[in-house]
Amino acid sequence: MRDPGMQTDEPTDDDRARAVEVNLTRAGLRLARQLGDGLGGLLFDRLFRILADRHPRAFAALVELPDARLLIDPVDAPAALLLRVGPQLALRVSERDAQADATVRGPCGRLLDLLEGRIDGDALFFRRELTIEGDTALILALRNTLDGEEMDLFADVATAAGPLRHALPVARRNAGRVLRLLDTAHRLAPPPLRWGLAALERRVAGPRREA
Amino acid sequence: MEPFELICPAGNPAALRAAVDAGADAVYLGFRDETNARNFPGLNFSREDVAEAVAYAHARKVQVFVAINTYPQAGNLAPWQRAVDDAARLKADAVILADVGLLDYAARRHPDLRLHLSVQASAANVEAIRLYRDAFGVRRVVLPRVLTVPDIARLNAEIDIETEVFVFGGLCPMAEGRCSLSSYATGLSPNKQGVCSPASHVRYEPRGGDLASRLGGFTINIFGEGEQAGYPTLCKGRFVSHDTPAYLFEEPTSLNAMELLPELKAAGVRALKIEGRQRGKAYIATVVAAYRRALDAFAKGQAVPKLDLDAMVEGGTQTTGAYKRAWR
Repeated sequence: MRDPGMQTDEPTDDDRARAVEVNLTRAGLRLARQLGDGLGGLLFDRLFRILADRHPRAFAALVELPDARLLIDPVDAPAALLLRVGPQLALRVSERDAQADATVRGPCGRLLDLLEGRIDGDALFFRRELTIEGDTALILALRNTLDGEEMDLFADVATAAGPLRHALPVARRNAGRVLRLLDTAHRLAPPPLRWGLAALERRVAGPRREA
Repeated sequence: MEPFELICPAGNPAALRAAVDAGADAVYLGFRDETNARNFPGLNFSREDVAEAVAYAHARKVQVFVAINTYPQAGNLAPWQRAVDDAARLKADAVILADVGLLDYAARRHPDLRLHLSVQASAANVEAIRLYRDAFGVRRVVLPRVLTVPDIARLNAEIDIETEVFVFGGLCPMAEGRCSLSSYATGLSPNKQGVCSPASHVRYEPRGGDLASRLGGFTINIFGEGEQAGYPTLCKGRFVSHDTPAYLFEEPTSLNAMELLPELKAAGVRALKIEGRQRGKAYIATVVAAYRRALDAFAKGQAVPKLDLDAMVEGGTQTTGAYKRAWR
């Protein structure tokens, strides 16, 4: 969260690290879609178990909601997600036109920010960066439940990464700094070296945004 | 000169921690039921949450106020009385009440509990405020957002209890506690069930690039492509009158009275309140931090820094509301 009055157009290390996470999320969605409901479903179940261990209060609240389906559509990602709340709480990769009681649409990065409470959902809605349709009460219940947590998706997942669990947060913390250094080097370097750096940067940042 | 007290909202425990960490002097919150005026799905505090919130805040010398500011329903007083009892038991620093029966209950049952009069009571004149003070021992009144700064100054000159005014956030332009616009459209009352424009009755419909907001089956606004949106409240609805769509009561806008700190101080205001228990913790952290910086600068006699809160406001616009409204 940036200090008000101190905002600039220059991306911060945090912005750069977030860009990496957005690309990882998109890649994860692409993989889940390719794996299908079987193996992909197992991965999502595992993700939910990790998050439920870290945030038991929020997950208990989601289970207590009436049975309903919420389509979460990151418009710049290769697939959407269908969240089933209520006693049969589950998350699955989904087509964008899946039947649901409510739909939330927005850029992948904004949805991640919202999930982690880094940004205010009402502010996103006012600015029309977020579109909602269907059962507004369901969306509000989910938003308020998640906002009550201090959730950090990648740090939470890292806790289940076995021996890598200490390395992942460090790598993430440094990803922004590494990308900033690459940016600077890119600007200052002569053309042949610049092309090489651009290739390296693409490898660090992951696949670019899809159309 | 005694500094302003900064009173900040929290709709969940994470938001409370954000408010405390960002520099609140006091945080106000509600229980998870119809006893408070922000009774929205997934919002508010269980009794256990309040106990943890009080411990967190008190350890950092921050007060906790519990809003029990809806009106008890006939024949069903128990939830409201239980809320007062629990707030006292959980060591809240004050309760914010509106109903005279509940004020009487709290004053008799918990004589040491500090009572604040909610904006929901719409006490806007000297006689009304004195009555609340004399009858129930109310120590602070939250003034409705319909008074000008000179109105507030005149009021403070004649009363001897503290006044608290809203300085930022959603702007209710009506006589609060008496507004029935949402009740007519939905059958649920902001004043009894604590829900203005209940989410269960709100629908948003994308129409091409436009966005229609509907409440209880009525279309109350259509935002054009690229136009900033607002809350689905009837007081900020856009209606066709004489073939022209227009805002009849108020436009989608948020209050921001930061520029009026000197005038509010001169008017004798004790505490400044930020609206937004329904907002996310990111809003709370950002707005509270901005106001903390502004109040600290003001207390030292320095220029109040210009802080950009545009990203947080309804409709993308800010107003000083009735405080500076020339037509009044």
